[in-house]
Amino acid sequence: MSEIAHQDHVEKKAFLVNSSSLKDVRNFCREVFEKLQIQEDLKDELVLAIAEAAQNIVKHAFKNNANANELMVVQISCENNKLQIAFYDRGTPVDPKKVKHREIDNVKPGGLGTFFIQEIMDAVEFKDGKKPWINHLVLTKQL
Amino acid sequence: MSYKVTEEGNVATVHLDGEIDMDVTEKAKEVIFPHIEAGKEVHLNLSNVQYMDSSGISVLIESHQKALEKNTKVIIKDVSKSVLKVIMMAKLEQILNLE
Repeated sequence: MSEIAHQDHVEKKAFLVNSSSLKDVRNFCREVFEKLQIQEDLKDELVLAIAEAAQNIVKHAFKNNANANELMVVQISCENNKLQIAFYDRGTPVDPKKVKHREIDNVKPGGLGTFFIQEIMDAVEFKDGKKPWINHLVLTKQL
Repeated sequence: MSYKVTEEGNVATVHLDGEIDMDVTEKAKEVIFPHIEAGKEVHLNLSNVQYMDSSGISVLIESHQKALEKNTKVIIKDVSKSVLKVIMMAKLEQILNLE
């Protein structure tokens, strides 16, 4: 747990749902975490977790086949040193029971993104997406 | 992502540069795999890669496994601290050839 009291802050940004947006998602996160003065090592981990979640939206919720104008929204909020990252998209509804990573000892390409997210974050929760959104994923981490 | 390849004898050295994510994995495979398929030993220099996600890790696993099939090897060299951390998170530091 961090000894720094991070200021309360909320920021959100919309991105086109495609793989070339992932760099923009990372840069957005880095900018926000800079403002929150999150230490470098933790910042790298959080950026990875968020980018993996965004990648899952592109890869699974839209199966790499999004309409050119389709958007996903990433919202980062910090309140009382608790970081919450929310994702909103209008892709195929996610069945949380089917979201699993591969067995870590069964070495093969793929299936690591969800593992990284779970390793880095304290909690991963799919909530009901309120209109116009279909999926609403929330990642949390106590700073 | 940009790259540079040098070949000397049976060794192809591939220098990758930039951030390796889902957007560039196909390009990374196009650069690396032909050398493995030609039976070359591939030295993958990652000193200028500061970010790698699960897609990039998949390229490393696939490269390693392809090399085993071809009786050669992929050696990952000069990995940055941030990428090493991701490799370790995936528990691959004993599986991949790191130097």
